[in-house]
Amino acid sequence: MKRLLATAVAATLAFGVPALTTAADEEINVVMFGMPYTNGLQKLAGDFEAETGIKANIDVIGQDVFENRITLSFTGATGDIDVVHTPVIQVQRWVAANWLKPITAEVDAMAVKSDIMAGPLDAYVINGEQWAVPYMAATGLMTYRKDILEEAGVDVPDTWEDMLSVAAKIHNDETAAIAMRAVPGQGFNMFIFPMVMRAYGGKFFEDYTGGDLTPAINSPETLEALNVYMKLLNEYGPQGAGNFNFAEVNAAAQNGQIAFALEGTGVVAQIVDPAKSKFADKTGIALPPAGPAGRSPAIAVHGLGIPASAKNPELSARFIEWAVSTETMTKIALSESFSNFTTGPVAQNPEVIEKYSKVHPDFLTMQADALNLAIGHYRPLLPDWPALGQAIGENINAALNGLVSPEEALEGAEQDMKDILGM
Amino acid sequence: MSSNSKQRAGATYELERGYRRMIVPAIIAVAIFAIVPLAGMLALSFSDYHLIRGSNGEFGLRNFIKLVNDKRLVNSIYVMSVLSLFGVAAQVIIGTAVAVGLHKIVGRWRLGRVLFLVPYAVPHVAVALIWLSLFTPTLSPINAFFDLFGITVPSFLTSQNGAMFAIIVADTWTNFPFTMLIILAALQGISPDLDEAAALDGASRVKTFIFITLPLLLPALLMVTLFRFIDSLKHFPMIFVMTKGGPGRSTQATNFYAYVQTFQNSNVAYGAAIAVLLFLMAALISFYVAKLNQRISS
Amino acid sequence: MGSIELTAVQKSFGDVEVIRPLNLDIEDGEFVVFVGPSGCGKSTLLRLIAGLEDTTAGSISIDGQDATDLPPGKRGLAMVFQSYALYPHMTVRKNIAFPMRMAKIPRQEQAKRIAAAADVLNLTDYLDRRPGQLSGGQRQRVAIGRAIVREPSAFLFDEPLSNLDAALRVGMRLEISELHKRLQTTMIYVTHDQVEAMTMADKIVVLNEGVIEQVGSPLELYRSPRNLFVASFIGSPMMNIIEGEMADSHQASAIGVRPEHLSLSTDSGLWQGKVGVAEHLGSDTFFHVQVEGLPKPLTVRAPGDVELQYQDTVFVTPEKTNLHRFDSSGLRID
Ligand SMILES: Nc1ncnc2c1ncn2[C@@H]1O[C@H](COP(=O)(O)OP(=O)(O)OP(=O)(O)O)[C@@H](O)[C@H]1O
Ligand SMILES: [Mg+2]
Repeated sequence: MKRLLATAVAATLAFGVPALTTAADEEINVVMFGMPYTNGLQKLAGDFEAETGIKANIDVIGQDVFENRITLSFTGATGDIDVVHTPVIQVQRWVAANWLKPITAEVDAMAVKSDIMAGPLDAYVINGEQWAVPYMAATGLMTYRKDILEEAGVDVPDTWEDMLSVAAKIHNDETAAIAMRAVPGQGFNMFIFPMVMRAYGGKFFEDYTGGDLTPAINSPETLEALNVYMKLLNEYGPQGAGNFNFAEVNAAAQNGQIAFALEGTGVVAQIVDPAKSKFADKTGIALPPAGPAGRSPAIAVHGLGIPASAKNPELSARFIEWAVSTETMTKIALSESFSNFTTGPVAQNPEVIEKYSKVHPDFLTMQADALNLAIGHYRPLLPDWPALGQAIGENINAALNGLVSPEEALEGAEQDMKDILGM
Repeated sequence: MSSNSKQRAGATYELERGYRRMIVPAIIAVAIFAIVPLAGMLALSFSDYHLIRGSNGEFGLRNFIKLVNDKRLVNSIYVMSVLSLFGVAAQVIIGTAVAVGLHKIVGRWRLGRVLFLVPYAVPHVAVALIWLSLFTPTLSPINAFFDLFGITVPSFLTSQNGAMFAIIVADTWTNFPFTMLIILAALQGISPDLDEAAALDGASRVKTFIFITLPLLLPALLMVTLFRFIDSLKHFPMIFVMTKGGPGRSTQATNFYAYVQTFQNSNVAYGAAIAVLLFLMAALISFYVAKLNQRISS
Repeated sequence: MGSIELTAVQKSFGDVEVIRPLNLDIEDGEFVVFVGPSGCGKSTLLRLIAGLEDTTAGSISIDGQDATDLPPGKRGLAMVFQSYALYPHMTVRKNIAFPMRMAKIPRQEQAKRIAAAADVLNLTDYLDRRPGQLSGGQRQRVAIGRAIVREPSAFLFDEPLSNLDAALRVGMRLEISELHKRLQTTMIYVTHDQVEAMTMADKIVVLNEGVIEQVGSPLELYRSPRNLFVASFIGSPMMNIIEGEMADSHQASAIGVRPEHLSLSTDSGLWQGKVGVAEHLGSDTFFHVQVEGLPKPLTVRAPGDVELQYQDTVFVTPEKTNLHRFDSSGLRID
């Protein structure tokens, strides 16, 4: 029955997707979505072939096309993808859907394994099996305009409370105080908002680590956090902040339209890069603000996995080993704006250090600090997370834009969570 | 002779058979590219298939019963209707207006037609990105311009109506050239003598347009409206890029909602049921318009 | 009323001068035919009068009023197009009513005029059909009906019969002539068929390359063509034009004589020649006779019962009184 339905899914999707290429013997197909690392990797495909004689067809596509493409391939078990971009946030869902192949033995056999940061690597362990190998761990950081704070005579805010009072002092028509992602989506506002939520002690479930997955987002703590998030964006954010995504935050920071930005390291690297922003030299980097419950920088881990339907897993594993090797990673760290690599020794490469110190002297240390503070389940590692994150994000965004009250939003979010989890 | 029960082939038999053969490849293509996925979708819509939780092998109307009580679906249909009705209306009106204008000066200004086609050639995602930045106050040159005079242009993307308006603008910008092209072709099929006859009959330009040109364009207008309407039911890239369905869920048109159910919620069967519903709506509209068209052209 | 006066009217399309500056008076109630070879500017001239083209220079007045810059709808003229230009989406009734609707004529009056026009034009049974369901002749009548009901001060026709077959053309020709007799309204009629021109016109305007070659009644043009062009254009079959020695003997650079003004004899005559092709029309026979010393055969009309064989020797004699003489610039010598 399941096979039949899977075929139905495949048939439904098949015709919206460009022609498939099937892998020849010494040829593998890699499908990823666009990011600095994946773009850099694509350019190095020739190196891989030169080294191993295996031809790697690396497809880098848009994130929405990606969803369609892999759903087709995996439900139909067409075997046309040998290595797939595997965000940690999706891995639970994919494992639940039997889309991935466990690769514990393959990873154990990789020489590079001991060089990979343990946190991100462990994020891919489910039921005692390794399902993918990380290549990057983006964390949440804050950027601030040193000149503006100096002029106002205030310090870099350490807590969200501080942030509120600083924002009130520096916000004006020319330069808004702060921008953060606001558009609904588990990878958009739900990548950023939990930094506020967790700082105030808000949580998604009664006891995630203890295994009690009763939704608990409708709490006074989360409400307080939501009010802070809303106040910051609505009163001290730039016009239209309620529909900002990372691109808009990035542009606003680079154009000097905001004093503070809370973003992932990928965007932060661009905000503080003198080659990209006129305000880079006036911009400082700090950890995201803390709250009564501490500090919780966002984290997003991306890696490479092997689809269950892959025809030649040995070749796939060889590709992954090459892709996360210190050598390859170093090349990409130097050629792209790629600082959040998870293969440790790359950080010791003098050229890499030089490059990112030039971008910003505090950048690499801040990134390491944030990574240390981040909790692995910043966003819950559950098969249903994409659905939950989407639903919560929609409710948060609705409150932010005044469609519902914050109370209603959290009530709605909790109800949606229950519906999704079938409770 | 009377015992010959075989129907007469008739003089045009050969010709017709030739035509019938010509459409065979099209039928095969339709069968493969439309019927197969459609059948797959239909099968899924009756199932309980969930990407994560799998299937218990139940088949039935469960998903369709759920559809009836789904408030988000109602909202999505509302959004879709607003986007489609206003968007298509704008595309048809603007497309027709530009076509009429270009038609009159087409001999003198061929470049014009090419120029107006440009938006149609831009990929939807790129169009959406252009308009996203034009509707983002911090990025928009429009806002910057009015700022010079101390006028603050409101932010569109943070309210439901504003966001729908923005999506309609982007959709219209990229799709009006299609209506323009079809209407232009239809205009060129109208004998210029008719305009001149009407002029001599004492009709002003406006009256000529209303009484002569417009009625003669009606079949083409209907066609183009139908095409655009059906296509507009598939609203996705504009929403995905410009609002992500926000603020809240207020711009989740039905197709976007189907995406959320299928890809975010892994609820493949329910997503398929929504898709089936969309398909039925499109089919119903096509059917009605086809009938209307028949009435008009007869 | 329907007098039209063109003064120094000129028309160019870009650099191409299609109508050279010309003057033309059309009197009220006249049936004027513009005739000339294809491309000579007949339609253009008609369209200038209708207001469908702007004049490049000169002025047009209608009923004594300057109409040069008046839009077509305000000139009080009605036009029948070669393509009929019927509105395909309207019934015959609505087509005919359209100009009246535009003129805001009361409905009752409209109905009356439609009924009258339909009666005259034999359209009563077809009023509820669409143009697509009519024959060519019927469409032509509808177009005329649409012109009549406006009660214009002049009708303009641009080759209205050229899409009809020969028999129908003769019938419609008569109908239009009759219409003119009854309405006594000015009509301007464009054709390149000189039979139409001769049979219908009160006044023929012969155009050639944007220039008026001659204006006059059909008989004037027939009897005294002003120049070689008119001489050879008017009359059927064409006038025989003879140049060279034979013309010299008449103190002209060219002489012209119509086939009907040549007599044929088997034993004596002015010019000797051999019979070529014969065209038998029943009442008449036209013989092509190759006269010695002439580059082209002469066309000679003979009664229908004359029997001559191919290559018979014959004598041809022109009627002295109907000999046309032309000077070296092609102008008539009287
Ligand atoms: N709109 C135009 N632009 C440029 N040239 C034109 C235009 N209309 C007509 N002409 C030219 O003007 C000349 C006269 O055209 P017109 O249509 O008046 O000829 P006509 O005498 O009506 O010929 P026919 O008997 O073939 O209808 C032609 O050489 C034609 O090519
Ligand atoms: Mg003409």
